[in-house]
Amino acid sequence: MRPFAYTRAADPGQAVSLVGGDPRAAFLAGGTTQLDLMKDGVLGPERLVDITRLPLGGIVHDDAAVRVGALTTMAELAADPVVRDRLPFVRQALLLGASVQLRGMATVGGNLLQRTRCRYFRDPGVAACNKRAPGSGCAAVPGVQRMHAVLGTSDHCIALHASDLAVPLTALDAVVHTRHADGTRSIPLTRFYLPPGDSPHVENVLRHGELITAVEIPLPAWGTRSRYLKVRDRASYEFALVSAGVALVVEDGVVRTARVALGGVGTVPWRARGAEEALRGARADAASFRRAAEAALAGARPLPGTAFKIELARRTLVRTLESVAEESS
Amino acid sequence: MTTAETGRAVGPGLDRVDAPLKVTGAALYPNDVSWPGMAHAALVRSTVAAGRVLDIDVAPARRAPGVLAAVTHLNAPRLARGPRPPMIGAPPAPLQDDRVLHHGQHLGIVVAESPEQARHAARLVRVEYEPAEAVLDLDDARAELLVDPWGLDTEHGDVDAGFARSDVVVEETYTTPDNTNNPLGLMTTVASWQGGLLTVQDSTQWPSNVRTTLAAVFGVPESRVRVLAPFVGGGFGAGLRVWSHVLLTVLAAREAGRPVKLVLTRPEMFTSVGHRPRTVQRVRVGATRDGTLVAVEHDSVAPVAMDDDNVEPVSHSSTFSYACRGIRTRDRQARLTVPSPGSMRAPAEAQGNFALETAIDEVAHALGMDPLAFRLHNHADDHPLLGLPWSSKALKECYRLGAERFGWSRRTPEPGSLRDGRDLVGYGVAGVCYPFIQFPCQARVSVLGDGSAHVRSAATDIGTGTYTVMTQLAAELLGLDVGRVRFDPGDSDLPYAPPAGGSGLTGALGNAVHAACRRLVRDFCDLVRDDAASPLLGAAPEEVAVAGGRLHRVGDPGRGESYADILARHGLAELGADGRSAPPRAEDLGMAPAGAFGAKFVEVRVDAELRLLRVARVVSVVDGGRILNEKTATSQIVGGTVGGIGQALFEDTVTDPVTGRIANATFGDYLVPVHADVPDMEVLFVGGPDRASATGTKGIGEIGLVGVAAAVGNAVFHATGRRVRSLPITVEQLLP
Repeated sequence: MRPFAYTRAADPGQAVSLVGGDPRAAFLAGGTTQLDLMKDGVLGPERLVDITRLPLGGIVHDDAAVRVGALTTMAELAADPVVRDRLPFVRQALLLGASVQLRGMATVGGNLLQRTRCRYFRDPGVAACNKRAPGSGCAAVPGVQRMHAVLGTSDHCIALHASDLAVPLTALDAVVHTRHADGTRSIPLTRFYLPPGDSPHVENVLRHGELITAVEIPLPAWGTRSRYLKVRDRASYEFALVSAGVALVVEDGVVRTARVALGGVGTVPWRARGAEEALRGARADAASFRRAAEAALAGARPLPGTAFKIELARRTLVRTLESVAEESS
Repeated sequence: MTTAETGRAVGPGLDRVDAPLKVTGAALYPNDVSWPGMAHAALVRSTVAAGRVLDIDVAPARRAPGVLAAVTHLNAPRLARGPRPPMIGAPPAPLQDDRVLHHGQHLGIVVAESPEQARHAARLVRVEYEPAEAVLDLDDARAELLVDPWGLDTEHGDVDAGFARSDVVVEETYTTPDNTNNPLGLMTTVASWQGGLLTVQDSTQWPSNVRTTLAAVFGVPESRVRVLAPFVGGGFGAGLRVWSHVLLTVLAAREAGRPVKLVLTRPEMFTSVGHRPRTVQRVRVGATRDGTLVAVEHDSVAPVAMDDDNVEPVSHSSTFSYACRGIRTRDRQARLTVPSPGSMRAPAEAQGNFALETAIDEVAHALGMDPLAFRLHNHADDHPLLGLPWSSKALKECYRLGAERFGWSRRTPEPGSLRDGRDLVGYGVAGVCYPFIQFPCQARVSVLGDGSAHVRSAATDIGTGTYTVMTQLAAELLGLDVGRVRFDPGDSDLPYAPPAGGSGLTGALGNAVHAACRRLVRDFCDLVRDDAASPLLGAAPEEVAVAGGRLHRVGDPGRGESYADILARHGLAELGADGRSAPPRAEDLGMAPAGAFGAKFVEVRVDAELRLLRVARVVSVVDGGRILNEKTATSQIVGGTVGGIGQALFEDTVTDPVTGRIANATFGDYLVPVHADVPDMEVLFVGGPDRASATGTKGIGEIGLVGVAAAVGNAVFHATGRRVRSLPITVEQLLP
């Protein structure tokens, strides 16, 4: 690991100004991704500003939303009673992610900012990585593709966004609250991430030194049923091959509202609006679900190593819709 | 003959004698070693798979904080290549020229005060390459093809005539990927040169060979080299050879003039300490309509690294697995610019058995026969090539008992015919005939003045239970309680021992301990035979038995005396004896020395729509000869089974097709089973003592793994009708 300076921030304002004023500084929260990347030589910040003692934890509820402090751990959010009762697929996504140990350290803000698992990105011995070294090329496209994305890709990058949590949060139109040198802002999660295009190194709309302070999760209408299904090679402790987060209101066998997002397939957490449109007002039956699944994967750009993900994602979404519909009936 | 009457030391499920040390953290693994003045090393590795190093600049590293030394091929001394022992060979010595032969090759070593400083500095070393084209694929026409590399290719009977008269012939290609051993303990070497004496603590499975190799490579007498390995954090074959990093650490310690410790990183473990090589196997099996095998042909090609050797006779077990009058096996190796393959738990068998036992299943299906009945029908009562009876074989009993415990009779023959809710259910079986592998071994056993015993050998216990079973064995043979015996392995100064590998150590070391104990008891008998003060005066050795720390007359436990009393009266602090063992030979025995046999029964569940595969149940029945400790033996089979599930479903070391870099060299990306993937496992032992071994044991360190992948694949076929001939069996192979 490259030597670095360490500062513990006294308050959020100081944290923002310390990082914002130094292009080689970075925030440190749970550190579960960041320290790995530093040890591997992928990231080399010269200053870490520790924000873990800042008052950015805690979960606040009202009738409309759950407001989650950025330093809330995955374990804490999963244990929240309102999340358990009203947002079961958020809880499921949290508990299917990482491991018990990691969930006790990793923060919600950090989870949203986790870096891709692409092994070409994570090994500085690989010369070609547009995300790590802009303009250097992409070794993954001609390389081993299996764990990469099929939606939102470009010729420059096919790296996957691997967060489970971000899938239901994207479906729910969660909002990211931030603080920066000039004030604060609120960013819908659906506009937070940037697909790679020709600048894969720019992954989201945050400016350098901008700090996530909270994530606001709108509560869906009473009567909504939701589920997160994660499909992976082994039974636990692995990132998704594909996943689906679904929240439905079904009345009299008809889908009234539908929120659908996919994981394991996109360069960003993938909101499947086409699937939502196909479902809205449709019978909650196998034919509708299959149509929705077809719509969800429209525009997918598979490579030989990722082609299986398209059918697997469709089937996973159908299964998820079926199980939510069953629960609703 | 002297007899032991304390038979209960051997057999029951005694807890590991080293368990308290391990659970309290007192067991000293190489990782835990810290010697005064010790510095730390880190490796510089190549980022191309082939070519030359044009320039390697260590100046930025040398300027980094704490750096003490940096060695590359530019300043390394000439090192001889180590001796190449049978089965294992020796990788080439590092840093001897500018050639790059694989991605991740060690190009240098940097020594610093702290591990963090060493790693940081190693990353600062700048390497300029003249890259060459990598040769990465087994079917690359540029790859040198080694034909019959070990002279084991076999032609038995008239194979072509057999195929000509076959009613059913199955001919298919089976592939297995590279797998990486990945013991949890990161391979570590600590080396110190002091006063002309080289002391090394190493994650090795073979201290005697590390000593011999270091003496040869560094040009010092063996008597000036001592290799310690009292505890090793797992091996699975990765610790069999004296790898480059061991030599580099010893070299770095000499250059730095300080003790030096090197702990490989997990990614380095994927390129530095061997792996199970991938295979492409073509198997052709012919049978007559009545279900009789008449011809078996098994061809294999596997990679071997540049400048390296590795023994991996993938097809060889097909020569003795079934009764068949026409058998042909052929092995080839393709020389590739890849990290050195080496032994990984059940080398050759893990891959070869998958191909043969899948093909056997396919023939049974083609004949419309139950796959278990087909195997029993073609059981090899004698060794097919030697025409000799086996020294022991209870494979039929393995099949019979396994079928009963598993409930094989509930299997409906038609693929896809068993369902449970959303799951397709499949039953599969595979048989295993493990080869007999053993090497000469020595041990020394002493009884001390207090009547306790001390057993010593340069062998290692890599987690298999050697500490425990050797303690039990000596306790039984000397008539002592287990708590009165101490076994000290893991020191090359002790009597020579072969590797903890090839499922051979328990047999080799056990028989050496057996010989030493027998001789020691005889020496005690000799002491007292003419001793007027002894109640055993005049007793011939065959009239003496041992029990309760005493020698006594057979059939008269009251007439005897303790070891301690004999030693005290004769003014001896201790009495010791050496023992040695050598592998038996078929021509001497008139029998074929047998390895272990086994039958694996597996139930799988495949989600009908998502096509996700889970192993639901495994029943393993093993003929391992005499079982010294049912608890540790069961653990061996359970652990092997988990490894087999990994081979079947998950493990796949992926090489980047362009760069030759290992693309998944971390535990986040290289999947092994987690607890939730491991189902209910039942392990049963059958058979009796093997006739070719004084202790009656047969090796069981690897057979737990073998056959699991084939049984899983056969069960997947039964569940889905999809025949998978390529490991691992992943979801994309089961989707439409």
